[in-house]
Amino acid sequence: MMKKIIFFLLLFLVAGMILAVGIGTVFIPFTHIIQLFLHSWGLGSNFSFSHGEREIIFFIRLPRVLIAVLVGAALGICGAVMQGMFRNPMADPAVIGISSGASLGAVTAICFGLTAISLYYLPILAGLGALLASLLVCSLASRGGKIPVLTLILSGIAVSTFLNAVISLILSFAYEYQLKEFLFWTMGGLDNRRWEHVDMVFLPLLLGIGALLFFSQELNILLLGEEEAQALGVNPAKTRAKLLFIASLTAALAVSVSGTISFVGMIVPHILRLLVGPDHRVLLPASALGGSVFLVLSDLLARTAFPLGEVRVGIVTALLGAPYFLFLLSKAKKEGEAI
Amino acid sequence: MKALCIENLSYSLGEKQILEKISLQVEKGEFIGLIGPNGAGKTTLLKNINRINKGCGDIWVQGKNIKNMGDKELARQVALMKQETQITFPFTCWEVVLMGRYPYLSWTKQETEEDREIAQKCMEYTDTCHLADKKVTALSGGERQRVLFAKVLTQEAPLILLDEPTSNLDMAHQEQIFRYSRQFCRNSGSIVAAVHDLRIAAKYCSRLVLLYQGRIIADGPVAEVFTSENLQKAYGVECCPYYNSLTGEWDIYMPECKKTSKKGKVHIIGGGGSATALLRELYQCGYQLSLGIVHEGDSDTAIASLLGIEKIVLPACAPLSVEAYELNKKMIEKADWTILTSCAFGMNNLPNLQIAQLAQRLVIIDDSPIEKRDFTNGQATCLYKELSQKAVMLKSADVINFLQNKENKGEIS
Repeated sequence: MMKKIIFFLLLFLVAGMILAVGIGTVFIPFTHIIQLFLHSWGLGSNFSFSHGEREIIFFIRLPRVLIAVLVGAALGICGAVMQGMFRNPMADPAVIGISSGASLGAVTAICFGLTAISLYYLPILAGLGALLASLLVCSLASRGGKIPVLTLILSGIAVSTFLNAVISLILSFAYEYQLKEFLFWTMGGLDNRRWEHVDMVFLPLLLGIGALLFFSQELNILLLGEEEAQALGVNPAKTRAKLLFIASLTAALAVSVSGTISFVGMIVPHILRLLVGPDHRVLLPASALGGSVFLVLSDLLARTAFPLGEVRVGIVTALLGAPYFLFLLSKAKKEGEAI
Repeated sequence: MKALCIENLSYSLGEKQILEKISLQVEKGEFIGLIGPNGAGKTTLLKNINRINKGCGDIWVQGKNIKNMGDKELARQVALMKQETQITFPFTCWEVVLMGRYPYLSWTKQETEEDREIAQKCMEYTDTCHLADKKVTALSGGERQRVLFAKVLTQEAPLILLDEPTSNLDMAHQEQIFRYSRQFCRNSGSIVAAVHDLRIAAKYCSRLVLLYQGRIIADGPVAEVFTSENLQKAYGVECCPYYNSLTGEWDIYMPECKKTSKKGKVHIIGGGGSATALLRELYQCGYQLSLGIVHEGDSDTAIASLLGIEKIVLPACAPLSVEAYELNKKMIEKADWTILTSCAFGMNNLPNLQIAQLAQRLVIIDDSPIEKRDFTNGQATCLYKELSQKAVMLKSADVINFLQNKENKGEIS
């Protein structure tokens, strides 16, 4: 059952990726896509695809889809980890200041004109901002080596509020075009993502996701409570600190190339928990795959579903995510329990 | 090798000293009941043993200092079960029990067939196999504690710490968890359990350790620890522990004392269980009591010993001796009032009626006619009639009020 779901998610992901590289302003048939890949691996002959199709796939759509896969996986797994760690199904990377930190980095890069110099500046500053903000939140919340969940959430709110104020301050003195650029960035988007972006985050994200997967059983045990965890040989303070650090780093890397994309980290783990149960050894890989599928398909929708042209993917995820959030709320109200 | 050895353990939280120089040794197979009032440091002591709290002093588990043990290594030696484990995520019971194998998993963290077999066996042992696929969040309190107990057993640690594992269970489930625990110790495991319920601790534990204000004030078998001095010191209320020979278990009687003012001295002549309730009630009202000639094995004798009432006891069925007569006479002389209960009279205790004549102020409880209680061919009836001339005749329900009235009028010393 559990393995089946992972298998189906993998299948969905491959299908979604093929759809996403095929559909767009120029439609590329499935057979051509297969041929293109065979060709690039040096297999087969008698190809019928055009040179233009090859350019579109390899230079425009494939890097974008790969970024969607990586970012989706990272946000999905980080969301699952945060929810498990905080024992709160509503937590996501934003609670520890990832989004506001990344936004501050981005606004710095935009308003000081760094984006014009190199395309690396914005992601690097955004990633750095996210990482520093989350580390600040964690260190503010730590009490003698322990990080109480409530303190963490509260200091997350405080730091976010402060950073948002700094962002607003910088924006007050920005030009209008910079304002627009920043606004677009905060909606999260995968347009114009290139191989440079993929190269930048591919390995670190894979490592981060792998490291989080490694801690899945510890996450299960942390859910039994601090003392139970210690009694089973899992040091709750150390494990939580490690998990927070890796999750912050991974989420920071993800938002550095995509901007802040809301709701992926929240709803994907939530849906999958309903399907596979709370065992993180299944839930974490499932959330990673689910996040990828969700973001690839959301990006496809963002590119193709709106008649007036492409919209930012963050808008699509929020449009899908917010109603689901409300659905959960109403369901919880009916069952008379907190979510 | 000791299962557990604690030496000079102190632990303080800020300014407050929670544990003070605790030393304790636990042998293999012992079931230690850690008792004491709220805030005595029971839970803190347990937390120190599995390093949730780190205090000053040394703790050895199976001969190894826990300071030198890794987290998983310690978890293979010491397991813990808490009073209430809040599991908010809907794991199945099987998943929860299997988590007990965590300290044994290799780096891949996948359970082996052997791990599964162990978990299965432990679930069979606590009779929870039928719950394996149920969500742990949907269980009743008793079921959940049994599942958690299976998890603790699955951990295969030779030492188990129980922190009030049954406080919120009904009595049947409570006993069940303790039976499993006792069985675990008989199979040469060791348990240190913080227990609130003194009766159940006395029933199942092989040794009791009484904590008070962070120190051990008594340590030993039940009979040694269960003294009224120890319990009164620890709990600050009057406690009378006693061995109930009917059930073979220890019990604790806590008199509801209303010792508001100093009350007078009352001597009671009873026997055959006729004075038991009266003794208890008068004791609770605060009278200074003494009990006239009774025999061993009588429940009047038992309650007098329990409450520490001065008494004259003869071996069962023995005739009254001169010595006992003299003693009784002295007690009657000292007493403000003497009460003769409505007991049955035979040749053995007939002299009790003669003794009653010595009393200056006598109350006779006459719940049933003397003729029916007379097994002396009329001798008792004769003496009784004579006594009733100068005594106050009452039903037993009215005795307390009568004495109270007299006291208010100042007729008792």
